[in-house]
Amino acid sequence: MTDIDQRRDAPPTHGPTTSNLADILERVLDKGIVIAGDIKIDLLDIELLTIRLRLFVASVETARKAGIDWWETDPALSSKAARNELRDENRRLRERVEALESAEDGDASSDSSSSRTKDTAGAGT
Amino acid sequence: MTTKQPATPVSATSTYVFAVCRRLDPAALTDLAGLAEGFPVRGLRFGPLTAVVQHVPAAEFTEEAWQRRLSDRAALEHCARAHHEVVTAVAACGPTAPLALATLYRGDERAREALEADTDRFTAALDRIENHAEWGVKAYLPAAARTPSAPTAPAALLPGGGSAPGGAGRAYLERKRGLHQAREQHHDRALRTAEDIDAALTRLATATRRLRPHSLEMTGEKHRLQVLNATYLMPAERAKRLLDAVEDLRHRTGAEVEVSGPWAPYSFVGEV
Repeated sequence: MTDIDQRRDAPPTHGPTTSNLADILERVLDKGIVIAGDIKIDLLDIELLTIRLRLFVASVETARKAGIDWWETDPALSSKAARNELRDENRRLRERVEALESAEDGDASSDSSSSRTKDTAGAGT
Repeated sequence: MTTKQPATPVSATSTYVFAVCRRLDPAALTDLAGLAEGFPVRGLRFGPLTAVVQHVPAAEFTEEAWQRRLSDRAALEHCARAHHEVVTAVAACGPTAPLALATLYRGDERAREALEADTDRFTAALDRIENHAEWGVKAYLPAAARTPSAPTAPAALLPGGGSAPGGAGRAYLERKRGLHQAREQHHDRALRTAEDIDAALTRLATATRRLRPHSLEMTGEKHRLQVLNATYLMPAERAKRLLDAVEDLRHRTGAEVEVSGPWAPYSFVGEV
């Protein structure tokens, strides 16, 4: 089956203008009229998100995030994730500021100089 | 239909139901593969309506077989696309209510019996979607740069460095706070943009459904974030107005807005 993706163009007036599998799956698997069949296939048993992730995720690392909602995973959109990130960062920063301010007494401890050479806090994970 | 009947005993087949419509033009079904090679996709009358069905080998469509099929990427894709292809072909000829994937009966008689019991539901759904199509709309904003101006760690305090005591550390914290605020603003903007676009299109639509937005992991795109994934039931004559409205929203919100459609009204035939 050819896979023509015209989503970026103005859609013509006929025929489905997407062959994007995610779009098709979320309609074919999630929607449509449900009536009881003789052969019981409970589509609700199928974790759609897992299927989608299997389709789109190449790396094991991102697959570990499966099942976590979009709002929870993207720090740019999740105040919760952002709060957690910020809390950790604040803790690290307070330690660092303390170390720096105690170093201002003129006898910088080896401890504080080593803390200064650690990589910057808050680098994106 | 002139397709030769398969030489398989009836007991060896199940009846798969793709969709329900009022009347079927058999020509719409030619060349459709459906879900099983060698079995024609055909109409099955029940009461005042017509179902679009296909015989499939029973042994390949048991519950266990489905579990395997739906957890195998290639098989799932083939199956979803085949179902969708039939639904789309039928919907091109008139109001069509797609059925959920994998609706199967032991034979045509059982299918007819079960479908007839739901005639009222199908009729209501077909009335509702008559002269309508479904249009999908997705909106994206640039993914927030994690650290647009990455705050550097406080510089080592050199004598005469000019910073007030504790100043470097505090300034660093201030910058971090600014970053956090920027993130919050980005979050607010994403929500606002999604709501603005959805509100504008909902005004044009007969009905609206919000779908789960696809995460960065699913789109595989790191540079932009999907803030809206919605689908609209539009009267046929409003398709152009929808596209114009989308164009306007692109300019007004700065979001990338993608439209897909027209779809058979999958999202608007189930229970309201």
